[in-house]
Amino acid sequence: MGEVRISDLMVCAMSRLIRDGEKVFQGVSSHMPMIAILLAKSLHAPKSVHLNIPGGVDPNLKKLQRYSSAGKNLLEQSCSIFPLAEVFDLSMRGELDVAFLSGIQFDRDGNVNASVIGDYHKPKVRMPGGAGSAVLIPTSRRAILWRTKHDKRTFVDKVDFTTTRGNIDRIITPLCSFKFEEGRLKLDTIHPTSSLKEIIENTGFPVEYDEIRYTGEPTKEEITVLQKIDRDDIRSLEFQLGGK
Amino acid sequence: MSKLVTLPEAVDMIRDGELVAIGGNVLHRAPMALVREILRQRKRNLRIIKTAGAMDVDLLCMGDCVSSVDAGFVSYETEYSLASHYRKAVESGKVAGNEHACYTIISAMRAASAGIPFMPVKGLVTSELIEENSYFTRIKDPFSEDLVTVVKAIRPDIALIHVHEADINGNAYIEGPLFDDILMSRASKRVILSAEKIVPENKFAFSQNKAQIPHFLVEAVVKAEKGALPCSCLPNYDINPKQLECFKRCETKTELAAYLKSCEQTDYRR
Repeated sequence: MGEVRISDLMVCAMSRLIRDGEKVFQGVSSHMPMIAILLAKSLHAPKSVHLNIPGGVDPNLKKLQRYSSAGKNLLEQSCSIFPLAEVFDLSMRGELDVAFLSGIQFDRDGNVNASVIGDYHKPKVRMPGGAGSAVLIPTSRRAILWRTKHDKRTFVDKVDFTTTRGNIDRIITPLCSFKFEEGRLKLDTIHPTSSLKEIIENTGFPVEYDEIRYTGEPTKEEITVLQKIDRDDIRSLEFQLGGK
Repeated sequence: MSKLVTLPEAVDMIRDGELVAIGGNVLHRAPMALVREILRQRKRNLRIIKTAGAMDVDLLCMGDCVSSVDAGFVSYETEYSLASHYRKAVESGKVAGNEHACYTIISAMRAASAGIPFMPVKGLVTSELIEENSYFTRIKDPFSEDLVTVVKAIRPDIALIHVHEADINGNAYIEGPLFDDILMSRASKRVILSAEKIVPENKFAFSQNKAQIPHFLVEAVVKAEKGALPCSCLPNYDINPKQLECFKRCETKTELAAYLKSCEQTDYRR
């Protein structure tokens, strides 16, 4: 296999966490999870259900929208309409299996900050906000988080502000996958493009792990499907731009 | 009587300090012509309500029209990145950034639409947003005695919603994603619509596509073809990247004035 791209690796890692038949939601600024869901549906989880903000259930996306993961194309050839408000209702009654969400800061105790740096009422930095996180991370069965930055300002000892915490399953970063177990974040798998040393150097809390395991590289089949679903390489956009 | 008014007449109905809900979601179907006119008329201290805002909220903050923003998310999404004027306004203390989960805006409008004072929401119990914001609190569930988080009803004074079709009586039809606009039209005291197209009065009566917003909820209708630009109003048109980038480059009041001026011809077209 040639050189592994981090964006491919992250999308495949997210995709593999989706199990067949699960109801899965992705929101705004969420191209990577959107593509991960499409990949899962094409491969190991054809019966998983794709839910999104416009409300198209299982849209058949012929072309992805580069500037948005909440546009009208998510209604294309969908079998039914199940919009955002109802996705939240579904999650609150305990029936949303997976919610893909992000944040700006994460700490060892599983707190997520998507709100502010500094005082809430007079913030040093006002971030976009958690969108659905404060409801979905605690109420979905599994919240899968991703962040394209992994440094000591992102993975901190204590978050500046707790936007939410709850049912975190994994956090996928460019260096590794964290799992949330026994009330704290633990290293789950190391990406083959990184190392334990690099993860420790870039994490603001002690890195705990049960055993050294590596994230599986994207398979040939996954890459082929990815290139078909996402011809324009929108999955790499967050790395190119860095914005949220 | 016809509710059709001009863009300046419609915005003249908005009073300083009012609670204004804005339809659409991020860069999709935002009522941009109405928003630009709010800046031209120098409205002040508006309190904005939106689930997920982008250029609409950013532009209003740049125009000094806003005293607070209640939203779950404010950003242009990944490609066009952060809402820098909103950020600066909140960071400088000019605007109160009242963070919601998108759902708590929906819940607060559901309460308002049903005429009840608050709505219970799950999940939020783990969030520091409860301590920091007076619109959230925890109460005892009178039945189970468990603690439950509640969000205070939001009853906007005005909703601004961009639609594909409206008639002069205010019946309106949206194609594609509705986002939270139908709920918003029920929760708000008054509704102002901008419409891509004004259709004949009997169109909805004879069509399979019924108006989702009925006339009796609507106060005014503005004909605003391309009224969401540079945001999208699909299938009619997608975002206009050039115009969007042109606004994103605006930093000074002079540049902002030039931007508003450059849109006048389209915005004022009757």
